[in-house]
Amino acid sequence: MHVDHVLTTCPYCGTGCRFYLQVVDGRLVGVVPCKTDEISQGKLCIKGYNAHAFVQHPDRLTHPMVREDGQLRKATWDEALDKVVSEIKRITAEHGPDSVIVLASAKCTNEENYLFQKLARAAIGTNNVDHCARLCHASTVAGLLMSFGSGAMTNTIPEFEDADCVLVTGSNTLEAHPLIGARILRAQDKGAKIVVVDPRDTPLSRIAYSSIRQKPGTDIAWINGMIKIIIDEGLHDEGFIKDHTSGFEDLKRIVQPYTPERVEEITSIPKERLIDAARTYASAERAMIAYAMGVTQHTNGTNIVRALANLAMVTGNVGRESTGVNPLRGQCNVQGACDAGGLPDLFPGYQKVEDADARKKFEAAWGKPLPPNKGTTLTCAFKDALIGKVKAMIIFGENPMLSDPDIAHVEEAIKELEFLAVTEIFPTATTKLAHVVLAGACYAEKDGTFTSTDRAIRPVHKAIDPPGEARPDWQIACELGRRLGASGFDFSSPSEIMDEMARLAPPYGGISHARADREVLRWPCPSKDHKGTPVLHVGGFKIGKGVLVPVDHAPPAEQTSEEYPFILTTGRNLFQFHTGTMTRRSPKLEREAPEPYVEVNTTDAKRLGISDGGRVRVSSRRGEISLKARVTGWIMPGVIFIPFHYAEAAANRLTNPALDPVAKIPEFKVCAAQLEKA
Amino acid sequence: MNDLGRRLARIAFDERGADILLMMAENQGNVGPVIISKGQDPGDARIDVPYQLVAILTNLLPFIGKAKVAILCRRCDEKALIELAKRGIVDDASMVRIGLACSKEQIQACRCSDCVPSKVDIGEAAEPCPEDALAIELGSMTIEQRAAFWMRQFRKCNKCFGCTLNCPVCFCDDCVLEERTYTPKEGIPPELAFHLIRSFHLADKCVECGECERSCPVDIPLLTLRKMVNRDMKNMFDYGSGDAEKKSPLLTTLDDQPLEDDGHAC
Amino acid sequence: MTEFKPTILAFCCNWCSYAGADLAGVNRLQMPPNVHVIRVMCSASVKPEYVFKAISQGVDGVLVLGCHIGDCHYLTGNHRTAKRIPVTKKILHDVGIDDRRVRLDWVSAAEGEKFQQVIIEFVAEIKTLGPNPQREVNM
Repeated sequence: MHVDHVLTTCPYCGTGCRFYLQVVDGRLVGVVPCKTDEISQGKLCIKGYNAHAFVQHPDRLTHPMVREDGQLRKATWDEALDKVVSEIKRITAEHGPDSVIVLASAKCTNEENYLFQKLARAAIGTNNVDHCARLCHASTVAGLLMSFGSGAMTNTIPEFEDADCVLVTGSNTLEAHPLIGARILRAQDKGAKIVVVDPRDTPLSRIAYSSIRQKPGTDIAWINGMIKIIIDEGLHDEGFIKDHTSGFEDLKRIVQPYTPERVEEITSIPKERLIDAARTYASAERAMIAYAMGVTQHTNGTNIVRALANLAMVTGNVGRESTGVNPLRGQCNVQGACDAGGLPDLFPGYQKVEDADARKKFEAAWGKPLPPNKGTTLTCAFKDALIGKVKAMIIFGENPMLSDPDIAHVEEAIKELEFLAVTEIFPTATTKLAHVVLAGACYAEKDGTFTSTDRAIRPVHKAIDPPGEARPDWQIACELGRRLGASGFDFSSPSEIMDEMARLAPPYGGISHARADREVLRWPCPSKDHKGTPVLHVGGFKIGKGVLVPVDHAPPAEQTSEEYPFILTTGRNLFQFHTGTMTRRSPKLEREAPEPYVEVNTTDAKRLGISDGGRVRVSSRRGEISLKARVTGWIMPGVIFIPFHYAEAAANRLTNPALDPVAKIPEFKVCAAQLEKA
Repeated sequence: MNDLGRRLARIAFDERGADILLMMAENQGNVGPVIISKGQDPGDARIDVPYQLVAILTNLLPFIGKAKVAILCRRCDEKALIELAKRGIVDDASMVRIGLACSKEQIQACRCSDCVPSKVDIGEAAEPCPEDALAIELGSMTIEQRAAFWMRQFRKCNKCFGCTLNCPVCFCDDCVLEERTYTPKEGIPPELAFHLIRSFHLADKCVECGECERSCPVDIPLLTLRKMVNRDMKNMFDYGSGDAEKKSPLLTTLDDQPLEDDGHAC
Repeated sequence: MTEFKPTILAFCCNWCSYAGADLAGVNRLQMPPNVHVIRVMCSASVKPEYVFKAISQGVDGVLVLGCHIGDCHYLTGNHRTAKRIPVTKKILHDVGIDDRRVRLDWVSAAEGEKFQQVIIEFVAEIKTLGPNPQREVNM
């Protein structure tokens, strides 16, 4: 018998908890939390403790498949890879390289994402590369990049517990980021005031100092309202505003009309609660803002992010410990996938593809001329597929057939494609439509790094071999690159890939696998002797001054109507993760939350004769699903909530694909819906 | 390998004839559990990070077979092994204990009153900590105050199951806490019954190692609750977990005859 | 203020206490109507889990009634109960729940009057304790 304890990083949310996988003779038998890890401190959530459970599931894809006569059949790697390459070559020859899009993956490592974008840019010749950050924090990247010059969490996870006030909005932290939620609770236990603004009562809001419900889609109104109260009461930080920001006068002007009364009208937040929240936040010595999808997944998501940045800047809550604006990122490596350049407008390290100098640098490194224009986004790619602009898609480890808004439309778009290749670990709704399916390796079967939500580089170590003939995605990307005739895809290990990325992406300049194993390094880490940067913007913003961007409230894209009188909002629960590919194959997680449900307010339920546990039909302008009702006082009247994990009643059949104009993120958080007893 | 590691290996393999050794070691800056056979390098052995090695061992038991296992044992681990042996979960004869005396700091952190293993192989015996201040405070509160305290604590629970998974004396394959029968509420926090049922199940086996409290992401003082219930067991039945001679009072009749079903019951 | 009408569960063993309850009924002994009798094969089949679940869900009082010691149909079933229920009560006490909400007693098949007396006393006690605070605790 041989037992190993292999230290690695959790594959679920972006907190980046570390644990040991227990391996007995090649079998994963358990998870032991790592007690010396700075972030997780020997604690995990239920998903972490079950992170071994899906890995050796019998459903795993163990070999490549190609479609023949309408059916997927087993194929050799050579056959499958050659098929992908020949189709891509044919389609680019006919329609140009921009007819292809590569979808990178927030579930894959930094090294893999670096290769995916290199594959798109250097081997195929297009900037069409994107990933599911488009669906979660695209508005953060765009918004914070503009306000602060950096689109990531300004502070770190451990700092939460030393804050004096934490303003949490649009984040069900205890369920979606349990260990960050735990830190926030620890802050409360130490005396901090927690203010939660959310249309639903969450496990965190129920024990917070103040729990405020706003009507979905009205965030800018209450944020501007808070800023107005803060300025009117003289609670703003004049010194900070003067020294470190620009645009204060414009901001002051734009927030003027947002009186507490008007805000109450728009958001239905009682004015006393808003005033108290504003005072609580502004008078705290160290106040942190934490937010997630409830902020970003709106057609004005970018603006809401900017509004939060404004709030932090006018109170001087940036650039110090336990302050800042902190987007909580929901996938193990969604931060890293952005950092590694899995975005259509940015090279690794947030260097713009439209910037000639940046392009020159990458052209020199990769030995190829690179396309000068921004590529298309994931959300636009489906629209482009319908009009024949995008003809082929290479997807690494994503499942748009469940994760993207308006699934019916996604399916239609995918069926229009001439070619779809998907690398996956399990069969999904998306692999069902693929022409070639490549069997990938999961987190436990490869080396690499994830970047957690607080920019820490977290090593991932191989504990077992991939099942059957499955291969790590970095090897698949290398094979595709080589077979497409590109140079620079001859890596023998992920550590070599990181070395190349470190040379080209300045924030990662000092990162190597050897260092990441020993230290908790948070980017920017520009050189080998740099210790990393826990708090961003200390002593001022790199871009000179932080930009106070005046933003106005705008209603959501879709309004309720007589036909669709409810506001539908979507999100997660604690026990499932995203499209459930992994969690629904983990028995203990599935047992906790086995079926889809819609949360309905008690009064609405009573009026419609809906009982707790009874079946209901929920429809929107785009589709209809049937599921169980969960009748609760914890959601506002007029609002319903559906977790999006469940294929059998996919919330995204209903959601609105309307996009934020800047970030192209869809409005998952608001659409008009009808609810009736089934 | 450091000196400590060499010493542990010598005790385990050379002196006491073990096949494998379960201990803690530092690798690349982090300390974690390791299992080695003779001749393997575990990295630098460490004793200052309190991994619950018995809980780790119980997870591996189905795979270990007949191997003779040496395990680094604090007093609480020793007691946990006794409780497991009493219930037939581990085979006492196949265990080699390497006694570890806890540091002063650890004893304070655990508010531990029974901290010296029967044989000290590593470390130096230190003074026990007589009482748990929080337990005393809770005892002096009114019942309403005490309820308010615990409800505030339990409302933080996010049902990670860390308290059971890392518990050295939780050994059921199917835990009743995972069943909808007793804790039907969906979502978090779980109902009060979750914590009460767990308290009952541990009443006759908890060895106060404190791992539940250390594992709790939201800092519920679970060790204090354990100590309170253990004190009740002492007062009611003069029973303390970890005594090889004493059968659990919950598994005997009023006149101390064994109840008919197996000792495996949780 | 409306009168507090407690909800009380009485687990009665099939062989003694349930028969005792039956006898009380046949004899038309008057009892408060707040008690829901649950027939179980033996008081030992009342797992502490059931008691905890009931209290946790806001039930105001739980009675566990079995055969007298020595009379158990299963010989030592009620010994188990006699050990378990006191521990159950202590745990409730430790987390701040009045352990008078749980009572263990022995009622034989012939003790219809004792059954009546136990019910009357227990209901009166629960009434003085007031509603189970767990009703209000919205975890």
